[in-house]
Amino acid sequence: MEEKKQCKGCGGALPFLIGFVAMLVVGWVVFPKVIYSQKTQPVRFSHKIHQEQGMECANCHAFRDDGSYAGLPKNEKCQECHADVVGSDPAEKVYVEQYAQKNKEVPWLVYQYQPDNVFFSHKAHESFECKECHLEVGKMDTPPVYYENRLSGYSKQTMKMWQCERCHAENGVSNACHVCHK
Amino acid sequence: MGLDRRGFVKIVVGGVAGTLFTPVIWKSLDDVSIWSQNWPWIPRLNKGEVKSKAALSKLCPAGCAVKVKTVGGLPFAVVGNTANPLSKGGVCPVCAAGAQLMYSPARVKSPMKKVGEGKFEAIKWEDAEALLVEKLTALKGQNGKIAAINGDETGSAGEVLSGLLAGLGNSGCYMMPGEKFVAEKGVKLMGGSGQPGFDIAGSDLVLMIGADALDSWGTTVANQKAFAATRPTGGVATAKFVYAGPVLNHTAAVSDKFLPVPPTATAAFALGLANLLINAGAVCSAPDFAEYKALAAKYTAEEVEKATGLKAESMKELAALIKAAKAPLVIAGASFGQGAGALDFVAGASLNVLLGRVGGGMTLLPAAPKAVAGAGASDKDAGSFLADVSTGKAAPGVLLVYEANPAYALPQAGDMAKALGNIAFKVSFSTYMDETASLCDLILPAPHPFERYDDNLNPYGVAKPTYLAGKPVVQKPVADCKDPVDVLLGAAAKLGLSLGFDTYADVIKAKAKALGADFDALVAGGIWTGEAKGGSLNLGASALAKVAMPKADDKTLALAPMSNQAYGSATLATPPANLLAVRDTELSGKDLFVQMNAATAKKVGVAEGARVKLSAGKGELKARVHLNEGVAPGTVAVLLGFGRSAWDEFTKGKGDNVYKILTVSDEAGTGLKVWAGSTVTVAKV
Repeated sequence: MEEKKQCKGCGGALPFLIGFVAMLVVGWVVFPKVIYSQKTQPVRFSHKIHQEQGMECANCHAFRDDGSYAGLPKNEKCQECHADVVGSDPAEKVYVEQYAQKNKEVPWLVYQYQPDNVFFSHKAHESFECKECHLEVGKMDTPPVYYENRLSGYSKQTMKMWQCERCHAENGVSNACHVCHK
Repeated sequence: MGLDRRGFVKIVVGGVAGTLFTPVIWKSLDDVSIWSQNWPWIPRLNKGEVKSKAALSKLCPAGCAVKVKTVGGLPFAVVGNTANPLSKGGVCPVCAAGAQLMYSPARVKSPMKKVGEGKFEAIKWEDAEALLVEKLTALKGQNGKIAAINGDETGSAGEVLSGLLAGLGNSGCYMMPGEKFVAEKGVKLMGGSGQPGFDIAGSDLVLMIGADALDSWGTTVANQKAFAATRPTGGVATAKFVYAGPVLNHTAAVSDKFLPVPPTATAAFALGLANLLINAGAVCSAPDFAEYKALAAKYTAEEVEKATGLKAESMKELAALIKAAKAPLVIAGASFGQGAGALDFVAGASLNVLLGRVGGGMTLLPAAPKAVAGAGASDKDAGSFLADVSTGKAAPGVLLVYEANPAYALPQAGDMAKALGNIAFKVSFSTYMDETASLCDLILPAPHPFERYDDNLNPYGVAKPTYLAGKPVVQKPVADCKDPVDVLLGAAAKLGLSLGFDTYADVIKAKAKALGADFDALVAGGIWTGEAKGGSLNLGASALAKVAMPKADDKTLALAPMSNQAYGSATLATPPANLLAVRDTELSGKDLFVQMNAATAKKVGVAEGARVKLSAGKGELKARVHLNEGVAPGTVAVLLGFGRSAWDEFTKGKGDNVYKILTVSDEAGTGLKVWAGSTVTVAKV
């Protein structure tokens, strides 16, 4: 009888709080680490070195003549300088020997790859700074870790629709379906 | 303090409550919903630069100069090449589907060796080429033991085939039927030589007798553009077009006049017109004019009306139109691009001579230089060859089939397929698993037109010498294929023969050089044109004396195969995209509809929708009846392109194949095999 009385009172709201707090920790600290796998780029590309050479973003990430955006450069562009190893960085050697000389494109991981049903025009967003939407890689010597969602397969940095909509709303741009979904 | 059941439940409830304040549930739900949209079988867009590359598409018989739109290097659409002065940016419905056809499930994906009835196994290219060389080596030097059927009448590949066979001591290189072959015979009968050409753009009245010039005859896209140029929007038409043929087809539908003429009566109709024109004062300086005039006099409009049902008054009105025209042009041919006789051609061409239009409207093209030494003339027909194979008169041990589908697209197709069975080793160079490839012992997959070099010299119908060439649009073919000419040249080298070239690209470069054309400009979408040669023709009166006035027959109907270019060709089944264009009065489910007018249907005792069997020779065709007042009296019209027994899920087993009931006869006086005037019996089933 005495034991039962003790149990009735035991803990009060404490177990509830323990469970509550534990799951808050799991949900906010552990879960984000579990849901994403971490990947590194196939070649340690240093934006910093290239920027120090006086290059600008548009030298490699350029618009085509028809206004479409070329995105990541292909071998054809990289080989303008790196047909052979020209520096001492081992990453350059990896690129030249494993990709350029084998005529194989580098399978770069794209941090903000959008699904096929999204029509995103870089030209229409040209007035924004790249870093307002993209990771600021310009000063990085090593590309940031690529976090891939284990369920959806998309990058952690892939912009969600609500982010697009919020920016459109803030800038007085239509959020009609056909604006992004052609 | 212990943890009892109640305490445990409290922790769980607390945990669940805590979870609600974390992203676990909400993000997981969101991610799962995104995951559910990413099944591996969902096609992914190929992203990259959109480019437009010039190409030569030989999916249609005439070949189209096109621009292939690519994204990231892969074709996704085809448009016409506006720089081409003939097609002027136009493209035919088959070549328009070219990008889709590159990824067709019917493509042969790798070399295949037959291992049983209808069974094949994939083999390596080295093994396939070694097998080909082994078979050719065994029969080298034995004339008649190695033969080839060529379905490409405009490419230099034919020269390589012919040169290879000649080097192997064989002369059996046979062409699939086409109008060029017959027309050249016709020109000979008129005392001339060379391929005839027709200047539609430079004529103010174009009479098409049988020749379906705006859909299947000649360079159809160029013909359509020439037609369109005479019909300025909001303006007055500058030329008249008249179609005299068995069916109110696409050509007839847009022409100023349609005269229903059965396919058995095209020569008689032309001679009837000649008679009317001569009576109206037409004369010419041809040496056989008197003989021609006497012959034509037998074909009065009334006699032609009796034989064909065509009103004499209609013919007289047409003769008046021709007489009034300043630059009339007559084009004669079959309504489906093959099977007409040389006399049909001569009868039509004689009108051009009579009207003084040879050299103007109708031209003669000079003989083209050959790139491959030892290549013979392409004047033997595949139908006669396979007929000889079936009777044992020809007994080849090896047959090479290049871009041809004789098991489907020759008259009495069933017999032709059986004849192929008499040949011990058959090799198919085909892009697609067609009816002939499926009967062959070795299939060597050919690249799609956007994956290969090819050329196109003087497609039938052009008014002056014309040459096009194309290079691959893609870096890597979709299938494990090799250019057939490269394979043949490689085999020749292994057999100790030198044809002078290592690759097809080299052959085409040599051809361009021989013509005086710039290869680089050609493959960039350019065109080379020469000048038609001069010369005159006679009226072909002695040959035309063999033309007989058609006789009405109560038991049979004239068979008019109808071509609709969108539905494919002899070497190509209907592209999947174009199946949407097939009307339910042409094909319903698996039932093909044959068409006849109400009077003809009454005569044979059938009504709309009736199931019928059409028989001719050993062939039978099952179909249903659709009444169409656009079909000539005493004629049954049947669409080409259906009844495929191979290809893909989109076309296989739909409808029936009209080639099965086309019957071959020997043309009086020329000995040519003809089938445009086939007749059939129609019975209800």
